[in-house]
Amino acid sequence: MISDRVRSNLKTTFTESLLPKVGLLLLVAIVVMAVFAPMLATHDPTRTGYYAEEGAPYPPQGFDYTTQISQEGELQEVTIQSSGEHLLGTNTAGQDVYSRFVYGARVSLLVGFTATVLALLVGVPVGLVAGYYGGRVDDVLMRIADTMLAFPALVLALALIGVFGESPILVPDPFVLAGLADGMPESIPIPGTVTIVAALVIWVWFARVARGEAISIRSEGYVKAARSFGASNGRILAGHVLPNSLTPIIVLATIQIAVIILLEASLAYLGFSGTTLSWGYEIERGQDVLRTRPWVATIPGIGIVLAVISVNLLGDWFRDALDPNIEGEAR
Amino acid sequence: MTTGKFLVRRILQGVVVIWGVVTIMFALRAVSPGDPANLMLAEGASEELIQQVRMEEGLNQPVYVQYLDYVQGMVLGDFGYSWRSNREVEAMVIERIPATVELAVAATIVAIAISIPLGVISATRRNEPADYGATLFSLLGISTPNFWLGLMLILVLGVWAGVFPTGRRPVGLAEAIGTLLQYGYAGDLLTWLKYITLPAITLGTYFTALITRLTRSGMVDELGKPYVTASRAKGLPSVLVRYKHVLRNTMIPIITVLGLQLGTLMGGAVITETVFNWPGLGLRLIDALRIRDWPLMQGIVVFIAIAFVSINIFVDAIYASLDPRVGEE
Repeated sequence: MISDRVRSNLKTTFTESLLPKVGLLLLVAIVVMAVFAPMLATHDPTRTGYYAEEGAPYPPQGFDYTTQISQEGELQEVTIQSSGEHLLGTNTAGQDVYSRFVYGARVSLLVGFTATVLALLVGVPVGLVAGYYGGRVDDVLMRIADTMLAFPALVLALALIGVFGESPILVPDPFVLAGLADGMPESIPIPGTVTIVAALVIWVWFARVARGEAISIRSEGYVKAARSFGASNGRILAGHVLPNSLTPIIVLATIQIAVIILLEASLAYLGFSGTTLSWGYEIERGQDVLRTRPWVATIPGIGIVLAVISVNLLGDWFRDALDPNIEGEAR
Repeated sequence: MTTGKFLVRRILQGVVVIWGVVTIMFALRAVSPGDPANLMLAEGASEELIQQVRMEEGLNQPVYVQYLDYVQGMVLGDFGYSWRSNREVEAMVIERIPATVELAVAATIVAIAISIPLGVISATRRNEPADYGATLFSLLGISTPNFWLGLMLILVLGVWAGVFPTGRRPVGLAEAIGTLLQYGYAGDLLTWLKYITLPAITLGTYFTALITRLTRSGMVDELGKPYVTASRAKGLPSVLVRYKHVLRNTMIPIITVLGLQLGTLMGGAVITETVFNWPGLGLRLIDALRIRDWPLMQGIVVFIAIAFVSINIFVDAIYASLDPRVGEE
């Protein structure tokens, strides 16, 4: 479990270095943004056609902007008016970019967290059992793990979406249900299939780390002692091997949240996510209008980078403090 | 266990992994909805025609017969025909390999050329401005989604600055070298170089950042070892110690990680090719995925798996020859 030595290491590393502080601050900011999204957003992120209703000829941005737009085959200079109503402008569907940026944090973090927990639940038991028993069991489980590593996540995602559909999970919004934020969506969709795919892709890393830990722990004196007292294998695994391998698993879990946020964004960008409320999907939409409305693709990208940096900084902090030998900084 | 035995064992394991990939692909195809006959035929095709196509593709046979046929085909190197274009899958895979290899190699060159010096500087000047700069750069590098980075590069260097072209590349490397050799004209090669620069940076950035971090931490560990102090005490110049001894010892773990990260490189190539409309295997895979052209998808995925497994065995072989302890698991 988390020992006093680990706790004091965490504290020392935190006070001595700037980066963990930056990471924690960023993460808190993003979590606050995700939790209080309905209060922080200025518009319903899913409603379309805002700028058209407001009578603007082009989607506005926060500042005046001159660009060339092709009209009837000729390039014409047009000035895009700033709008106090839409701080970061609107996208091609006329949705408010800022509000979608805020809500994007919810989707990213929920997918990242859920998929990591799922991967932990699968990967850790598999790895512990493989490492503890060794032999044939180990061989079979590790070949399965190798196969997963050689398999592109995208193909898995598309095939599973084909089988299970996009299966959006509607997560209800407590603030809206309690009547604290009017005009915001009552629930937001989390891409269910993509969450499963992400878990399927990364459980392997947990299995490998847990296996390595189990191999070194199974020959420790206290395990032998427990066995001589007649403790069953299940009891030794749950009572000794698991608690003593937790530290590197926690470090890995932190890093993997960043990996999943990037994976979800990539799948959404390629159009294989099934959710339209996602930073990655927003970037895909902005790609077509990159020349004329560059902010549509730029803003959500900043969200992804900040979220991933914060999680990575936290992961580095844990690793520096706990210093386990972790393989794999997979993306 | 000798190195030879170790390699034989790794190759057998590799074959099992590829068989696993083949089987998973078959299972995914078997449970996926959608009738292939619909993809192959124009809409409104008669029921008879649909039945005929199903018969020809063996789709009316029991699943286990289809599976055995499929595995047999793969072993014999027959990947079948694309449902959409009705061309041989092998040809469709092979014609796209050069563009992807060019991109992957260019990205690796970018990554190694930047990251190793950066990591060395960072490690030897710890807690100086150069180190902070390198740390910040590598943090951004591993945290930026490459499709967004690609779009930003297109926007800033392509659209605004106009330094690099942004469309689909007009010429491949083989062709460009051909014109150079045949006519002594280097223009095509220059064009090729201009078109590959932004995609190579996009794909290479994550690896640049990763190797910078690995080089830095590896060097820091090595620099603290007694042999470094001893060589310095003997009067060896510090540059020689750093590059000849320390960097060399640092490279071993880096090579292993790079081998393991090849899957990531392929995944990154798929996305980079999509952003830049780069005519490689990744773009073809995405196209096949979008229209659910299963034979083509299977062919590309199995090819990628074979490449991944072989390169990892190759890396293991290098590793085993560098460090004799590797075989003694």
